[in-house]
Amino acid sequence: MMSNDPKPAARDAQKILTEEFFIARSKILDLAATLDRLDRANGSVDQLQQRKLLQQGMEILLDDQPDKAKRVQLLMSRPYDPDWRKNYGLH
Amino acid sequence: MDYIDPHIHMVSRTTDDYETLARMGCVAMSEPAFWAGFDRGSVESFRDYFRQLTQFEPKRAAQFGIQHYTWLCINAKEAENVSLSREIIAMIPEFLSESNVLGIGEIGLNKNTKNESTIFLEHVDLAVRYGQQILIHTPHLEDKFQGTKMILDMLVSDSRVDRSRVLVDHVEEHTIQEVLDRGFWAGMTLYPVTKCTPARAADMIEKYGTERLMANSAGDWGPSKPTAIPDLIMELKRRGHSRDLIRRVVYENPCKFFSQSKNFKALPASS
Ligand SMILES: [Zn+2]
Repeated sequence: MMSNDPKPAARDAQKILTEEFFIARSKILDLAATLDRLDRANGSVDQLQQRKLLQQGMEILLDDQPDKAKRVQLLMSRPYDPDWRKNYGLH
Repeated sequence: MDYIDPHIHMVSRTTDDYETLARMGCVAMSEPAFWAGFDRGSVESFRDYFRQLTQFEPKRAAQFGIQHYTWLCINAKEAENVSLSREIIAMIPEFLSESNVLGIGEIGLNKNTKNESTIFLEHVDLAVRYGQQILIHTPHLEDKFQGTKMILDMLVSDSRVDRSRVLVDHVEEHTIQEVLDRGFWAGMTLYPVTKCTPARAADMIEKYGTERLMANSAGDWGPSKPTAIPDLIMELKRRGHSRDLIRRVVYENPCKFFSQSKNFKALPASS
């Protein structure tokens, strides 16, 4: 079903970049500092699922595909099984 | 700008919060029944909670000129207790004629279990039998995608369900499209860390348009911000979106959705 309400007009990319540069910069720094903190700490987390998810999430940010927020969300989601009702014995 | 918060848990908030919300432009709100932070032990405990939602809260809101509406159910977390859930579902009709009840909610899934699904289906049946609208809670974090799809499966497989009378809340980037494509209403919850920021909600409005889309604060007893909708209004204004577009999301859409319930009263002309 498609929307009947008009979508808002697209915004200007350069304007968005100017407005959001410092916000994005600060988020990259936060992420960098979290990775540094893990490095300095005792023990290794490289084999843990959560660490791998962060790695895969960062790879989504760097690839050349669109819908990054949606793909990060899906990466962090449990899989859906279309047969779930049968498995639960629910009809 | 006048606005409506379609999902907020005022029993967990102070009277000062009502005053702040009124000052910020909140003219109406709807409060789904939810989890108190601990599991309640008996049907009587829920009967008192429903009295609070239908009799006490509307009076507290009215002191500040805010219309208060509510939705009744046993939430997904406590629905793990199937026998207690069934006692509550049997008791809910006692309250359906109260003047601020819009329907059944927030029903849904939490950990996507069999018991939660069983009780979800029984709530849907209750709503259909009594001609009630439905407000849906979708799970958090890694459970959201799976749980939302399970909920949509159950709703779509019941041909009695009128999708235009169902609001699916807490949608995010990976669930919004299917909810809208299947003809349901969608609610974005502005909630620190675990749900959606005003900027991401604005992104979804830009991407999907405003039809059948609303925003809420889901303010409750946990870390949450009851004034989150004004934050979204600010973000949309900052991006240069029109007053008409903003008004559609935060005022006209909730009115349109709620108007399908016979208990929703017309609001005074808005500013
Ligand atoms: Zn809620």
